[in-house]
Amino acid sequence: MSYDQLTPTPDADSKPFWDACRNHQLMFQKCAECGDVRWPPSILCPQCHCRDAEWIESVGKGTVYSYAIYHQAFHPAFAAKLPYVVAIVQLDEGPMILTNIIGCPHESLACEMPVQVAWDDVSEECSLPKFLPIL
Amino acid sequence: MLEAGICKYVVITYGHSALWGGGMYQMLLQLTGNEAAFGHFGAVGGYALAAMRGMHEFSTGPETWKHIAMGQRKWANLNPAAMMHKKAMSEEDYYNAPMVVEPLRLFDNCLINDGGRAIIITTAERARDLKQPPVLIAGMGHHNPSNEIGQAKYMAGPTGAKKAGEAAFQMAGIGVGDVDACQIYDCFTYTVELTMQDYGFFGRGEGEDWFKGGTIEPGGRMPLNTSGGQLSEAYYMGLTPMSEAVMQLRGQCGDRQLGPKTNTKEPEIILCSDNGGILQSNACYIFRKG
Amino acid sequence: MDLKDKYAVVGVGYTPQGKVPERTSVSFHQEAVANAIQDAGLKKEDIDGLISYRHFPPCPGEPNLTPQTISQYLGLTPSYASQDAN
Repeated sequence: MSYDQLTPTPDADSKPFWDACRNHQLMFQKCAECGDVRWPPSILCPQCHCRDAEWIESVGKGTVYSYAIYHQAFHPAFAAKLPYVVAIVQLDEGPMILTNIIGCPHESLACEMPVQVAWDDVSEECSLPKFLPIL
Repeated sequence: MLEAGICKYVVITYGHSALWGGGMYQMLLQLTGNEAAFGHFGAVGGYALAAMRGMHEFSTGPETWKHIAMGQRKWANLNPAAMMHKKAMSEEDYYNAPMVVEPLRLFDNCLINDGGRAIIITTAERARDLKQPPVLIAGMGHHNPSNEIGQAKYMAGPTGAKKAGEAAFQMAGIGVGDVDACQIYDCFTYTVELTMQDYGFFGRGEGEDWFKGGTIEPGGRMPLNTSGGQLSEAYYMGLTPMSEAVMQLRGQCGDRQLGPKTNTKEPEIILCSDNGGILQSNACYIFRKG
Repeated sequence: MDLKDKYAVVGVGYTPQGKVPERTSVSFHQEAVANAIQDAGLKKEDIDGLISYRHFPPCPGEPNLTPQTISQYLGLTPSYASQDAN
């Protein structure tokens, strides 16, 4: 299987997010009522059930909430990348997303470490938001 | 269903050809959705993220988890049906096993196996006339924090186990001091530690002290996962812990039977847990000899 | 609603486990449930409720195991059937 088969498959809710990624923009929905900035995208706010939201652009900075280092390849596409880091990043605007930390020696990884988005253009159609440490 | 009178006898069942049939590989590929684009697969990655956050927030890590893996293995060594029956595990074995997703090593992970398990529930009244010694449900509680790991802030606790445990203890009218043994859902060693911490068996970050010295092993003061559990017997979701609690309270566990045979207290009350997703749901059941 | 000590577990069913070749997932449900019924000293006609655990994705070539499918293979017609979220 090629890497292409492991790119995201946007659905009706998440398409605006992944489309914006192609332009290197991290876009999230902000609730018109309570102001909660949410992920994953959806038609109503899980906090207050308000159905109105505006898409806002994140500045792309946040902190590592947690991380884990993969030492085994669960899919052939990742065998050559071992060991690699999967992390949960909390953006300054609030939402938490699952991603990769790149460009960081593993011994320097830490929860609460500040990071910023770094775009990985994996194909014409797909750019993935990954994160680099802010030194 | 039983309470409403809709049913008289309810069977709960699980079966999976996870190993020979290749079911587990399907799970790894299908359960992750778009997160696979980042190389995130299956349950071990999720629990590794949870365990790393645990290590950040309180004192935990392999020094704690090794006691869980090795203690449960000792029970499996007494259970002829356990997959790891004939395999001892030393501290060296634990540390030398390959990292799967750091911080979790191979023996922090549960087994993948073919097999099935089922239990039948009815009223205490009907149970009295049946073949086996009845095992009563003294208390139960459920809680579902529900968020996916990527949006979960409870991965270092309190998890759903906090509220589920409180509800079960309240219904049963007992406290942790009344529990004779535990059968805890153990997809990973960290799950056992966090669940026991949230149920109140020890304070936050006191797990290493609590588990060390053979606490959960044969001869220990709080026997835990006495079939070997999912780490060393076999995986049937919540039915691994629940079936073992029932068999122990019936006194039908052979060489691993709690009581004089294993130099442990003869059990009257056994606490069980079940857990779903990546710490997204928790169920606590307190079983009592009928 | 005090449920304390109102209900009981009366049967447990086991199957061979580990690596068990030439066996489907549903066959393990069949064997485990049949053994649990036998263990309890019940008849299959007594069973009027079935809860199956949330299933992982089906194995290659196997159907998705809904509570209905499992009931069919066991010859059960439960008044209530559901799948648990745990």
